[in-house]
Amino acid sequence: MSFEPKILGIACNWCTYTGADLAGTTRLKYPQNLRVVRVMCSSRINPSFIFRAFQLGADGVLVGGCHPGDCHYNTGNLYARRRLATTKKILEFAGFEPGRLRVEWISASEGNKFAEVVAEFTAQIRNLGPQAKLKIQE
Amino acid sequence: MSRIGVFVCHCGLNIAKTVRVSELAEFAATLPDVVVARDYKFMCSTPGQEMIQHDIKKYNLDRVIVTACSPLMHENTFRKVIENAGLNQYLLTIVNIREQVSWVTSDIEEGTAKSKALLNGAVYRARLLAPLTSRVIDVNPDVMVIGAGIAGIQAALELANTGKKVYLVEKNSTIGGHMAQFDKTFPTLDCSACILTPKMDNVLQHKNISMLTYCEVTEVKGYVGNFDITIKQKARYVDHSKCNACLACTEKCPGKGISEWDESLVKRKAIYIPFPQAVPQKPIIDKNSCTYFLKGKCRLCEKVCEQKAIDFEQQDSFINVKVGAVIVATGYDLMDTKPLVQYGYGKYPGVYNALEVERLFNSAGPTAGKVTQRDGKEPQSIAILHCIGSRDKNYHEHCSRVCCMYSLKFAHLFKEKTSADVYQFYIDMRAAGKGYEEFYNRLLEENVKFIRGKGARVTQSTEEPGRLIVEAEDTITSKFMKLPVDMVVLSPAIVPRADYKDIARLFNLSTDKQGFFMERHPKIAPLSTMSEGIFIAGVCQGPKDIPDTVAQALGAAAEALTIVVKDKMELEATTAMVNPASCCGCQNCVRVCPYGAPAFNYEKRVSEINEALCKGCGLCASVCPSSAIIARHFTNEQVLAEMEGLMEF
Amino acid sequence: MTEFKKIEENLKTEATRLLKEGLVTVVLAYGKGFDENHPMPYAAKTIADVENIVFNEYCNYNMARYLVRYPQGTKIAIAVKAADSRAVIQLIQEEKVKRENLVILGIPVQGMKNPKTGEIIDSKTTCGMYNPVLYDLLLGEEVHGAKSASPYDVLAEYEKMDKEARWEFWKKEFDKCIRCYACRKACPMCYCDPCFIDQSKPKWADKAPQSPGNMMYHLTRFHHLAGRCIDCGECSRACPVDIPLYLFHKKVAKECEEMFNQAAGMSIEDKPVLVDFRVEDSDKILE
Repeated sequence: MSFEPKILGIACNWCTYTGADLAGTTRLKYPQNLRVVRVMCSSRINPSFIFRAFQLGADGVLVGGCHPGDCHYNTGNLYARRRLATTKKILEFAGFEPGRLRVEWISASEGNKFAEVVAEFTAQIRNLGPQAKLKIQE
Repeated sequence: MSRIGVFVCHCGLNIAKTVRVSELAEFAATLPDVVVARDYKFMCSTPGQEMIQHDIKKYNLDRVIVTACSPLMHENTFRKVIENAGLNQYLLTIVNIREQVSWVTSDIEEGTAKSKALLNGAVYRARLLAPLTSRVIDVNPDVMVIGAGIAGIQAALELANTGKKVYLVEKNSTIGGHMAQFDKTFPTLDCSACILTPKMDNVLQHKNISMLTYCEVTEVKGYVGNFDITIKQKARYVDHSKCNACLACTEKCPGKGISEWDESLVKRKAIYIPFPQAVPQKPIIDKNSCTYFLKGKCRLCEKVCEQKAIDFEQQDSFINVKVGAVIVATGYDLMDTKPLVQYGYGKYPGVYNALEVERLFNSAGPTAGKVTQRDGKEPQSIAILHCIGSRDKNYHEHCSRVCCMYSLKFAHLFKEKTSADVYQFYIDMRAAGKGYEEFYNRLLEENVKFIRGKGARVTQSTEEPGRLIVEAEDTITSKFMKLPVDMVVLSPAIVPRADYKDIARLFNLSTDKQGFFMERHPKIAPLSTMSEGIFIAGVCQGPKDIPDTVAQALGAAAEALTIVVKDKMELEATTAMVNPASCCGCQNCVRVCPYGAPAFNYEKRVSEINEALCKGCGLCASVCPSSAIIARHFTNEQVLAEMEGLMEF
Repeated sequence: MTEFKKIEENLKTEATRLLKEGLVTVVLAYGKGFDENHPMPYAAKTIADVENIVFNEYCNYNMARYLVRYPQGTKIAIAVKAADSRAVIQLIQEEKVKRENLVILGIPVQGMKNPKTGEIIDSKTTCGMYNPVLYDLLLGEEVHGAKSASPYDVLAEYEKMDKEARWEFWKKEFDKCIRCYACRKACPMCYCDPCFIDQSKPKWADKAPQSPGNMMYHLTRFHHLAGRCIDCGECSRACPVDIPLYLFHKKVAKECEEMFNQAAGMSIEDKPVLVDFRVEDSDKILE
């Protein structure tokens, strides 16, 4: 069987989750490897969520927030940007593929961007193959 | 142990077409703590809702999972459903298998598999949900309307007539907006001023409306029901409480400014009212054209003012207003067509934009209603070019909606006021409105020449100086044509106000690609926004004509009223709280919160969160190194459990 | 008299004076251990205690670690070497201590030694600075001319490694971890009580010293210390199984400096970088 990656999405309620809804409303098709957790703001994302997601077997993690300057909570995504960038650097220095974590700003009107990002990221994770480094082996 | 009921919706075939819903329900029944799982054609229908309520009682459910459309769609519906059956509304979980599954795949295998994973995540999360109690807050009964064009005026009047106090904020020195610049309105050709000025006067006279002209919003604090808004009253240099509108000052003033109202076609005085029916009918001084401000001498207006109303020392002042709801109706600008050099706007005096032409027709305009060009001559031939910068991938993709109709109106008025030949260059004629097609048909009879083809270029005639050549392809005959004319009228794209970003930031609004304010839902919540208590009306939401604008204004007024009509309202309970036993006193939460909700208790050495200020973003919870902050409804445990569930399948 | 002896004398003199004049109630410095190579963290509370104060090349401990143990408002004198002073600054930024409650006794020094290995401690395992960044009194001659190497030079070799090799390297190191939490205990910035890893709600990771839990503990701790670690290297010296934690901390510090243009513990005016932002931060940092 071909490798079907499991991708965890964490999307902010106001922009990316709504953008994902718009992708649906406009019937855009994208790969079904993504499972989205809805949070109110990308800044809710604790770095340990990311580490944990990989331990739980996620092959990739896609974080979506509002464009900088458009955060529903004004500045949440600006903190998220710093905190997630640092998370990525930590993963990278540990020898983990940093490309398995991706942060995208997708607004509520960017249904097509959502679909494109998901397709692109899924392909990228497919290329990277199964994530075995952090995944907890049963 | 919890007792979970899972209700899988088919949404007709919307879901059932690409997700095997009965298999999903069977799968749900195998998951931990699930005691009943069903699928049904329309869960949101009355029988669907009753099924859920019936099962809550029959199976003594303490958690409900509805596997259906987006939570942004029906979360509130189902929260009420379970609440009416005696369950706390926060014990509901929605699994979005329509927008995020069935509509984005055409493969039923994939759709079913993904739905199972999402449902599993929801079950894991649901088991950890806790009942929450909503906060009840006092609601300020007043409303603020931003922008006093026809939308703002209509909304303000409507609300004021219900007895509510309205603050109507306008950045110009008069209310009226673009509609007050027009001469006639399509398709009925009734006089714009005749239908608008009575409303403007009503605003002025209304005891419930506080008109704040020449004002701008500078800061917005608070939340739905309790906005705290700071407004800058720009210095007018005329004390309006003293001014009796004799306008002697405007007669004597030697200053010369460019009339914004007349679209820069003429000059105006430095102390001026924009147009004769302006409301308020009281002048302001434009610092940039006032001789005194420029040269330090003059003060003629001061000398002639019997009321001693001139005040050169006046400064910008700030007003603080508290309201329960806000309507944003900031309108539009016309796209600046200068960068589209192919049309020669700003280069050739014979090229006009639509608003300039509106002023030419207006009897209170620069030419007193006579159609004469910048050179003083009456044009003998006129080309009206549609879709300049709109429906154009290089500039603005959207259709500006009103240009076809006003272009027809222009053609009619040109015919009425001149003997010119009038040409319309259009891509297609969009006449979808009441009486619009009829108006188009009427124009077809009025000897106007319609050329189906977008104007491609305007150049200067080499043979006849001063004349212009319009180049276009007539797509009906597939012939390229060059038409010499005296006057070209551009119908530019309607775009958001230049300062739309400031308004969006102040009121926390999202904008679409073009910068128009985004509604909460394009169909079923077109006037509310993602910011609770902030509503939008008119062209700031997207191009539209006057009837639609007025209808939106009335709707927005009703929406605002639903908030301010009550003394108290419930707020979301999904706020953050601190578990003092785990607080390490690092104060990260205090540092990051955009709303100042957490504060450090120096005596107890722990942070505390003021829930009235908390908006529930969860930032504090993620920066808390010792996990002491509980982001209600999005707790660490709940998110981790959901992730675990999602990754299992 | 050696430089170290002079510092010890000055330390004693100042401690006596500060306690006598009632300017502080405690002096955080170093005391005798079971032998010369193993001095201990020491808190002198009376003039009589001062006699026990020592200072030699093995006095590595970062005494800033102990500041947070005293009730707010306690007047404390603290002996700090370069990195230690940065820890004090960082704690002031984080409002764990107030500047006005501290008398900072700065110690400019080079040639400190690791008691375990006898090796000189330099920029390879610490920030490599010689002079304290912030102090009220300087207890020795400021070190001039001795230019230390960049604290990040040591990373080059690891940055060069291919990612699989790096993963193997760190996996092996973290697998050694026995979860004694000495790193956390030694760290002046690890003041959380409780630490996230000790919690049961939520349970972030397994408490057993096995790979997944170890990984979660260390990776998350690196994040918690990102932009806050002042590179004193105490975590690594405290580690009984010799995990080179300092390397990872250095790397994160280096990245934070590059991304946010601010080093930890250099100015009391700064805000910790991960609870701060600039509008002009670039999206490039996410690539």
